Amino acid sequence: MRQWFLEMYRVWWREFRLVLRDEGVVIFFFGVCAVYPILYSLIYNTEVERDEPIVVVDDCRSQLSRRLARNLDATPEVKIVSYAANMQEARELMHRKKCYGVVYIPRDFDMDVNRGEQGHVSVYSDMSVMFRYKNMLMAITNVTQAMGGELQSQRLAPFTYGGVELIESRQVPIGNTGMGLASAVLLFILPLVIQQSMLLGIGMLHGGSIERRRRNRGYDPMEEPACVSATVIGKMLCHQIVYVAPVVYVLHFTPMMFDFPQNSNLLHSVALAVPFIIAVSFMGQTLQAVVNERESVFLLFAFTSVIFVFLVGVSWPRYEMSRFWYTVGDCVPSTWMSNGYVLMQSGGATLSQIVHPYCMLWLQCGVFFVLAYAVERFVSRPRYRSWQRKAAADADSLQRFDIIKNGVG
Amino acid sequence: MLQGMVKFYFVESFKRGMVQMVRRPMYILMMVIIPLLGCFTLMDLMKAGTIRRVPVGVVDMDDSELSHRLLRTMDAFQQVNIKHQYKDFKEAKLAVQCGDILGFYYIPEDLEKRTLSARGPVVSFYINYSYFAPASMQYKGFKTISLLTNAGIVQTTLRTVGLPSQAIMATMQPYNTHQHMPANPWLNYNYYLSTSFVPCFFALFILLLTAFSLGTELKSGLCRQWLAVAGDNMVLALTGKLIPQTVVFTSVGWFIQWLMYCVYDLPLNCNPLHMLVAMPMFVMANQGFAVLMFCVTPNFRFGSTLCTLMGMLSFSFCAFSLPEEAMYPWVAAIGYLVPMKYYFLLSVDQAVNGIDLYYSRLYYAALVGFVVLPLVLSWRIKRECLNPIYVP
Repeated sequence: MRQWFLEMYRVWWREFRLVLRDEGVVIFFFGVCAVYPILYSLIYNTEVERDEPIVVVDDCRSQLSRRLARNLDATPEVKIVSYAANMQEARELMHRKKCYGVVYIPRDFDMDVNRGEQGHVSVYSDMSVMFRYKNMLMAITNVTQAMGGELQSQRLAPFTYGGVELIESRQVPIGNTGMGLASAVLLFILPLVIQQSMLLGIGMLHGGSIERRRRNRGYDPMEEPACVSATVIGKMLCHQIVYVAPVVYVLHFTPMMFDFPQNSNLLHSVALAVPFIIAVSFMGQTLQAVVNERESVFLLFAFTSVIFVFLVGVSWPRYEMSRFWYTVGDCVPSTWMSNGYVLMQSGGATLSQIVHPYCMLWLQCGVFFVLAYAVERFVSRPRYRSWQRKAAADADSLQRFDIIKNGVG
Repeated sequence: MLQGMVKFYFVESFKRGMVQMVRRPMYILMMVIIPLLGCFTLMDLMKAGTIRRVPVGVVDMDDSELSHRLLRTMDAFQQVNIKHQYKDFKEAKLAVQCGDILGFYYIPEDLEKRTLSARGPVVSFYINYSYFAPASMQYKGFKTISLLTNAGIVQTTLRTVGLPSQAIMATMQPYNTHQHMPANPWLNYNYYLSTSFVPCFFALFILLLTAFSLGTELKSGLCRQWLAVAGDNMVLALTGKLIPQTVVFTSVGWFIQWLMYCVYDLPLNCNPLHMLVAMPMFVMANQGFAVLMFCVTPNFRFGSTLCTLMGMLSFSFCAFSLPEEAMYPWVAAIGYLVPMKYYFLLSVDQAVNGIDLYYSRLYYAALVGFVVLPLVLSWRIKRECLNPIYVP
């Protein structure tokens, strides 16, 4: 037992040195965690769209239609950039991307309204980005409802003698009270940045080790001889220590810098991150088996970010996914981490309220440990041994393999 | 004579590129299998199209005939799905915090009494905006329910005084807005996400793989051989090496377009040829962009890092979710540095809106520009190739 701890300690210490000496890994572990959250936050930092350019086609030219246009222009959502003579002209402006929406007020608009009938307004919106449509809709709904309300009370009064009043409804946004895009999206993305940087870094470390083995007849001079479980756990502990600073910075200070919802305290965030980092470390040690050289991690791991973002449920809610994709999402640590983190940071939940994600993370630690152990024991180590045998018979065989694979010889 | 030489060298480097591509299973894996699987994943994930049945809760403190009617109406709505009725505000709030529901509808005490005695009844909806897309759906659902309930109340009152239904309608809603949503009248969310995210995802693979195949030459030191085969002409070496990949990527891209427009029925309102032609241009533009990144930093790791960075950030820079006029100007400007932005704009113009090709001419031209630019700067890669230094 003592021997085991000693081995684990040596692996831990060696992994530490490997991480800090390798510029590429340092960039992944620290650089990515430092830069990506800031870049992403800056991109979405405007949070909402203000003054979307629209065009009005006013065929009515009455006092009422002008008032409608004026009120529209006064909303924060849209801004009238021009008045077009007809729909043809408005469409031309839209195609040239001078505006992203058209409001058409027909000729008999005010006549209808004054006659006690419904006044009709037509709205055309650019449908390439959901945000624009939402803005346009919000502006026109608010304006017509406010103007309609005035008219309504005038018309209703004689009939109801003040006997009935309409139910007023009030929206109270919770969690992300500013209803901004960045505050909603970024909290999901932040844990994902940690996960991806870690996967890339672990993959690159392994790629480096494989390259050293190729050059040294199947042996890695930087490897600490240790039993499988000591190797896997020793590396994990090293990642855990290395990631203390990035976790605190990404999960605690980034929301502070950009004023995202911050309803969780540091202790709870870190407590949630502990099983997350363990699970991701084991996941990385499982997936590293496919990495054969340092730089192929870009190719093999970078794209998974996109898939994981979708599985987290940030663009498309998880409850709408099919059973299959839901289950796939369950298997990724970031899914539980992001959802738990959002509930804490945005909803103000305590750790005791998010028991389910928290327990799932611990469960993943167990599962990924078994997987990482199996990969190291039954895939990686037998492979190294076969290399060593091959190299013992023919010293250059491993390097020659490299040349045949890449070049034309 | 010169023409013959060029042809000879081109054929030689083309052959070399072919052999290289076929020899490593990694290339086929990352060019064909994974991109197709990934694009299928993205489209299949969201194939439902519209977000429905958002899990919500209700708190009914009134427990009257009116409030029951209101909840019955809500239950019949497809936007929201009442998961649970909570006994008070606190319980519902805890449920939101635990993530069981994404919002709740709160009916205060005396709703009916206040309504009938005209004392300003107010209902509230609490919506968790941390989940952005379901939140807007919830808002829409809750708002409609409140409007319908009001309509019910007023209609009864007005009918008793004998007003015709047309006049009742005009009183209820004096201004009627007709919404026209060309190309997407169903508000299908998949139309937005798939038309933008799927090509961007594909672009990521083109960038990464091009960077990888260039970087491998530099790293393995075989770049001298690469250059020699092309008669020391960098442009020939690059084109010979990359054209086999262009062919494979273009075929995969067409297959993805087929998946998008034929299998998943995303809008294609233009002549299909416009999009088919755009695909090889898009593939080459992305290859060109990756080469350009290598011209900037002729080093395997830095080049790959730049390609990954730009490829990943394109999802945000290119303004698929937050429109570009809402971004900081410098952020929106960076979007124009990547080929994906132009492909996105032209696919919106052509496939989604179906407008004249004339309006998209500049986007097509920009894609061509991305192919030409790196060829001009290729001397930087050549210098590195003649004297390769591998920095791990």
